[in-house]
Amino acid sequence: MPRFTVAGQHFAGQLASGALIIACLALFPLVASSYQLSTLIISMVFLLPALGLNLILGYAGMLSLAQMGFFGVGGYTSALLAMHFGTPFWLNFSAACLVPALLAIPLAIPALRLRHTSFVMCTIAFVFILESVSKNWVGLTRGDMGLSSVPRPRIGLWSGGFIVHTTVQYYYLGLLLCVLAVAALVTIVRSPAGRYMIAIREDEVLAASIGGRTWHYRLAAFVLSAAFAGAGGSYYVHYVTVISPSVFDPTYTNTVLVVVLGGGVGTIMGPILGGVVFIALSEVLRIAPELRMVVYGLILTTSVFLFPKGIVEPLTAVLRGAIPSRARGSHGR
Amino acid sequence: MVVEPRTALSLRGVRKAFGPIVAVAGVDLDIVAGEICGLIGPNGSGKSTLFDCCTGLLRPTAGRVLAGATDITGWEMARIARQERLLRSFQKAVVFRALTAEDNLVLAGQMTAFPGLAATFGCGQNTRRRVRELRDRAGVLLERVGLAHMRHAKAGEMSFGQQKLLQFASMLMPEPRTILLDEPFAGINPVLIERIVENIRAVNREQGVTFVIVEHNIDVLRDLSHRLVVLSRGSILADGDPDAVIRDPLVVEAYLAG
Amino acid sequence: MLQNLLTDGLVIGSVYALVSVGMTVILGVLGQINFAHGEYYMAGAFAAWWAIDRLGLSYIESIPLAILIVAVLSLVIGYVVMQRLVDVSFDAGIIATLGISLLLQNGATLLFGGTYQVFDGGWLAPMRVLGEDIAQQRILIVLVTLAVFGALEWLVRKSSFGKQMRAVAQNVECCHVLGLDVRRVVLITFILGTTLAALSGVMTAPITMNIYGAMGEAITLKSFAVIVMGGMGSIGGTLLAGWVLGIMESLVAAYVGLQFRDAVAFTLLVLVLMWRPSGFFNTKARY
Ligand SMILES: Nc1ncnc2c1ncn2[C@@H]1O[C@H](COP(=O)(O)OP(=O)(O)OP(=O)(O)O)[C@@H](O)[C@H]1O
Ligand SMILES: [Mg+2]
Repeated sequence: MPRFTVAGQHFAGQLASGALIIACLALFPLVASSYQLSTLIISMVFLLPALGLNLILGYAGMLSLAQMGFFGVGGYTSALLAMHFGTPFWLNFSAACLVPALLAIPLAIPALRLRHTSFVMCTIAFVFILESVSKNWVGLTRGDMGLSSVPRPRIGLWSGGFIVHTTVQYYYLGLLLCVLAVAALVTIVRSPAGRYMIAIREDEVLAASIGGRTWHYRLAAFVLSAAFAGAGGSYYVHYVTVISPSVFDPTYTNTVLVVVLGGGVGTIMGPILGGVVFIALSEVLRIAPELRMVVYGLILTTSVFLFPKGIVEPLTAVLRGAIPSRARGSHGR
Repeated sequence: MVVEPRTALSLRGVRKAFGPIVAVAGVDLDIVAGEICGLIGPNGSGKSTLFDCCTGLLRPTAGRVLAGATDITGWEMARIARQERLLRSFQKAVVFRALTAEDNLVLAGQMTAFPGLAATFGCGQNTRRRVRELRDRAGVLLERVGLAHMRHAKAGEMSFGQQKLLQFASMLMPEPRTILLDEPFAGINPVLIERIVENIRAVNREQGVTFVIVEHNIDVLRDLSHRLVVLSRGSILADGDPDAVIRDPLVVEAYLAG
Repeated sequence: MLQNLLTDGLVIGSVYALVSVGMTVILGVLGQINFAHGEYYMAGAFAAWWAIDRLGLSYIESIPLAILIVAVLSLVIGYVVMQRLVDVSFDAGIIATLGISLLLQNGATLLFGGTYQVFDGGWLAPMRVLGEDIAQQRILIVLVTLAVFGALEWLVRKSSFGKQMRAVAQNVECCHVLGLDVRRVVLITFILGTTLAALSGVMTAPITMNIYGAMGEAITLKSFAVIVMGGMGSIGGTLLAGWVLGIMESLVAAYVGLQFRDAVAFTLLVLVLMWRPSGFFNTKARY
């Protein structure tokens, strides 16, 4: 699958356009309907695990289908903490990142011995194992019934504070989390470790031959992607206020795949655009969930042949055509 | 007082078998630090496999590999590269195709600039300064191998010869002690060969880097190397002064027999 | 009791083997895992149901019709998608076939409704074998499976098409050079593999009785376990692995708990992968 890297050259420009996008999104509630906002909230729910998949697949080159397993673990962690201890959101959220990340370590030790299709199969099996645990550990998870009336996010240092409940408030909370997550992803992929991850994606043996500790960086990618997924789970569970083993359903994994691959794997903007475009699309197709999945199937299959770099590339091409930019062609071969 | 010459790399009875096929049949070899050693042999004589055993890509079936005084048998490839500064190129031109030429070199240099694992995740001032230094070094090296104009081109879009030059340059980034080159001149035009040869000589002379070079282009190797080793069917057939080795009737026969 | 469980496992195992061997031959020739494989099993069952329920055909007539329908479906999919997967990376292949799986699974639900359909057909009258009452359909499944595996062994080892299959499996570039029509071999193999899954679906539907759009999903996952246990690409190994999985599932369901039945497949999958981490799906060494 072709992927491309973040070029270092225009980083300042990218920062500026990033700031512009954030500003637009921050002002969006002034003009948007509550329905549009809730669609964007769902986009942000999926964007968080999608960023993790983007890191592990787009940069480290490992197709992990375990993302939604970690999403579920994060969701359960956050919900259980809030329900049993009444902890504030920041603590639930941090735990929801940390627990899947820690869980990813023992899972990674066998999984990282595998490559290619074996690795993919192993990660699928993980989700089923987690689903099985969530169904059968009734004392903790209430089994198939799931957890309901999960508290809404409480923004406060320890006790008291402010409870997020309107759509607009949820929107701003999600926006904050997504901005932080994107910033974290950008930091990781631009660090020397990120360069090693790209090297592993391109050629693992060559990466090792120049001293890259390939196992460690593959582990890091797996663990970090689990943390991103857990973050999504936390935001999700405090938004919908219920969680059950159905969170491990393959449908959700497929949605994340569509967001990342349809958007543009291995780019920063790709999954962000993918999240907005494809979740909005699926809201339009809400009348029939099957129709939504048919369209997702079409997107996945055609993405391989027709737009292997996702929608981000044609979209930027259109934008560049519309706004002639000085940056164009500033470096060439 | 006689000073024992230091060895850069010693092989003790190294053997590698792939099932019934014996690729390397018990090789004893001491590479003296600071020398340029040519390694020739017919196709399939086990040269690349020997390199793989030295650099940890393959684990020898039997025997030991030492870098200096350290026994590195069974070490992982990355550890050998990092701790012993033993680097190798591959027979095929292998570069990180999606990365620019400059980034290829920065990657190779990261192992000395960021020795710790945690340091590679940094994003602060210090990290950025060190990466900038690597970029500067990369610029100088690209200039040296004549790829300055390709600095920001994707490695995958470069020609075969340019990729080999890039691979060679990336060997020089992390302050190497020993470099194993697998057919660095194959598929490269004479002008570029001359340039690589000059670079090898310069690096050898100025930085004391030890080279072991596998090559079928015997003329170039005869001029370049201080010593020539001939491998045939996995064992050493001849070892010594290049001119003498090439005239050795045994060697001539081995080559003719294939 | 135990004998009962074993025969049960053998029957279910034969179903798994029949589905999985289709995945095995496709993997062998194309070098890609077909993530939509269970959907052809589902399609076979639905096509037969449609023939019986809507066209009023008998079960025996519905079998060839269902296989024909799935063959046409996979001809189209093979032509449009699978042929192109010869020279794409393994992850692109996974994504492409995963997309097809979504398409077929949800397409079926859209066409035939989201609820379970009752499959009314087959020979469910019991027969006395070794002092035990077994439905005729179950015996038929085992017999058909044995016959199919025999035929497949012959096809791959002895026939000229089998030679072409093995050639494509070994080296695609060489086949191009030799003028072998790789795409044709891939297409035919794909249709062969999917119709085997469809046959399995048609044969099993009378036993499972309920059919629904997502019924193939679990089958795909179980096929992964079977082909990995079977040692990838080995036809005889697939049969054995199918039986092992079927019998273990029925034992676990009886002695450990019904809810752990489906856990057997992925537990075995992970264990076998751990046992031979690099033994399967090896891409060719490049150094
Ligand atoms: N992975 C492998 N599996 C089985 N046999 C191998 C493998 N790698 C190498 N061999 C065999 O080992 C022998 C030596 O191969 P090697 O690549 O080391 O030769 P070489 O001297 O580098 O040849 P050339 O000059 O053609 O590069 C050959 O007979 C080869 O077939
Ligand atoms: Mg060689």
